Amino acid sequence: MNESSNSPDDRLDEHLDDPLDEHLDEMTGMLYVEGQLDRDRAQRASAHAQDCSSCRTLLRALARESRLLTRAMLEEDEPLPSRLAAFQQSAQKSMQWIWGAIIGLAATGVYALYTGYVEPMQQGFEKAGFAGSSVLNLMLFQGAFWKGWQSMLTLLEVSALLTIAGSVVMFLRRRMRRSSVFAMMVAGICAAASTSSPAMATEFRNQGDTVEIAKDETIKGDLFAHGHHVKIEGTVDGDLYLFCQGADIEGHVTGDVIAFAQMLRVNGKVDGNIRSFTNTTLINGNVAKNLLTFAETVTIDHPGKVGGSVTTFVNTLTIDGAVGRDVLAFVGETAISGNIGGGIQAQGNTLRFNSGAQVNGPVKFKGNKPPEVSSGAKLAILPVAFTHLEHHKRYQDAGFYVWRVIWTAAVILFGLVLFLLLPNFARATVDSAERYGASFGLGVLVLFGVPIAAFIACITVVGLMIGISTFILWMTTLFCAQIVVGTIVGQWLMGHTRETWQLIGRMVVGVIILRVVEMIPFLGGWVRFAVLLWGMGAISLAIYRHFTPGHTAAVPVSPVMPPPLPPNTTIGSPQPA
Amino acid sequence: MSSPGIAEPTEAIARAKAGDAQAWGQLYHDYAPAIFRFCRRALPTREDAEDATMEVFMKLKGKINQYDSSRPFSGWLYKVAANHCWDTLRRRKIRQDKETEDSDELPLEHPDPSQLDRLIEQRSSVEVRKALACLSKRARMALVMRYYSDMSYDEIADELGVRRAFVGVVLLRARHELRNALEGNAALAAGGNA
Repeated sequence: MNESSNSPDDRLDEHLDDPLDEHLDEMTGMLYVEGQLDRDRAQRASAHAQDCSSCRTLLRALARESRLLTRAMLEEDEPLPSRLAAFQQSAQKSMQWIWGAIIGLAATGVYALYTGYVEPMQQGFEKAGFAGSSVLNLMLFQGAFWKGWQSMLTLLEVSALLTIAGSVVMFLRRRMRRSSVFAMMVAGICAAASTSSPAMATEFRNQGDTVEIAKDETIKGDLFAHGHHVKIEGTVDGDLYLFCQGADIEGHVTGDVIAFAQMLRVNGKVDGNIRSFTNTTLINGNVAKNLLTFAETVTIDHPGKVGGSVTTFVNTLTIDGAVGRDVLAFVGETAISGNIGGGIQAQGNTLRFNSGAQVNGPVKFKGNKPPEVSSGAKLAILPVAFTHLEHHKRYQDAGFYVWRVIWTAAVILFGLVLFLLLPNFARATVDSAERYGASFGLGVLVLFGVPIAAFIACITVVGLMIGISTFILWMTTLFCAQIVVGTIVGQWLMGHTRETWQLIGRMVVGVIILRVVEMIPFLGGWVRFAVLLWGMGAISLAIYRHFTPGHTAAVPVSPVMPPPLPPNTTIGSPQPA
Repeated sequence: MSSPGIAEPTEAIARAKAGDAQAWGQLYHDYAPAIFRFCRRALPTREDAEDATMEVFMKLKGKINQYDSSRPFSGWLYKVAANHCWDTLRRRKIRQDKETEDSDELPLEHPDPSQLDRLIEQRSSVEVRKALACLSKRARMALVMRYYSDMSYDEIADELGVRRAFVGVVLLRARHELRNALEGNAALAAGGNA
């Protein structure tokens, strides 16, 4: 090794040129073992090693190290992950037909839903005078806080958007890292939310115990008012959002009023709608459009007036004032002494028309007792259509079973999409569901705690979007619970599996069984409740484990990796130099 | 080149070039496990390896027409995978990279052969794979390219962007790091006689 070589690396040459009466250095030894020395140097190294036991041992050790490395690298220590196996399926055969089928099924389901439920309801409401601002539009598509919903006019559009979003996620997921897809989705949602926000300026008022808009004060734009008591004597030229214990509107609101309050009194003028979540709502003033309220008690006092329709989910409804159009009431006790411009559709315990009541449209009442009509009451159409509430009648109705099947199919379809979109997370959730105690415990916490937390977040105004997002997530989890539990039930019957499609098969069987069991009177209700607890807990546990560092896949080598060879396997027999 | 142990998929490649989904499925079926193991050893986490495997096959679709059918397909595929993994590692700062360009400190001392021999003899494949996770990214990548996919020094130099003669240095230093990680004792890292 003492000749000057034409090696490209001078520093190596320096070492390789050493006379062979000295020991081989490790670099020379490794290059020799790897077959990277030129012929002449290899011969010199070999000649030296034949006479030098130390260098022979070194070369043998280096060769064994190379073989150990090769063996360690080539061993099949873990199978192809199911995610990649699923990707393989997609590569091997075109899955377009499956997505076509899913989208087709989804479209069919949505169409059935629309024509079966939504359209007849809308037509019914329109006939009853709810046209233009139907309760469905009011509740679903004119969301209380986000005006962007107003551009989404139909359920079909929403469903189409969801389907497209799912397809896009699926498309991106195959081509991008999960984190990138997630980031894009969040960015997209943020962008959508920001572009849909109202163009007018929004003002926030939180001045301790009392927030007051004085008589001569005008707020241009929307107003968020938060305090113990809110009093509006001036003008709000926009929407008014109230989060307080008591609220008095004495002045003028040109937009809508959205109220979360214990007591809401309207003595002034509201040009838009009122949507309230209160204990008591009292209308003495003038509401130009509609009233939608979830409350304990609602009173439209004389000379109060609601120009549009009234939709209530309350315990006690009293109308002494005037309602321009129809009344839709899900209510315990209803007493009417005022003037109703349209008809009444009510369901509840009692309905009473006092002397002085005037109703210009038809009255339909579904309740436990026939309505009481005072002799002084003026009803345009008599007699009042009354239907006695018959509990459990639905079980005798064939339509109930048809729709039960349709909804079961919808749940299965939803589960199928989830399993294909998030196979690993779906498996993790099913695994979590097998930790029964933790799942049920967490389920109780999530089922009751999350809505409360979301509501508190909404009240703090700053956390409004977070609160609403949390609530939507909670609702989604609620829906997914039966998919998770259905999969577990399927596994009980058909055995455990890790394969996505086999897991989907078990989910289908399990969901069908659950839906059948849930129809059993009395027991079904408890089963449904248990499913909610269990499923929500399992999903929450899986989310928790996913985002907890100790449970993520960040560990470089799986601790449960099955070694294909016995422990302490060493490389082969000694190798002659 | 180390291959998955199958004959050259000439026909499948030709069909894949023509856009045959079935052929793509066949190629994926035959080569994905090997590419996944390659990525699994080269990248820090299992999820990274899964992502990388899919991305390599995505890239493959775009590059398949560049493939020279006179060369082994698996070798070409490993080059694509190595290129992708090395790019991924370079873009990230997952771990404090111990690697420096201090090749001048190349330890060429004569190691204690018997000590080195004992160290190697006591180690199992599982331990070696676990120790890989502790290596600097270049050391890890070099070892994987050399001892998993049997890439030549020229190919390794090409992928790592170093001179061909420097590959030996990289590999030797990688072995030292590996010994150090295996032993958990820095004293043994310098070839057994430090």
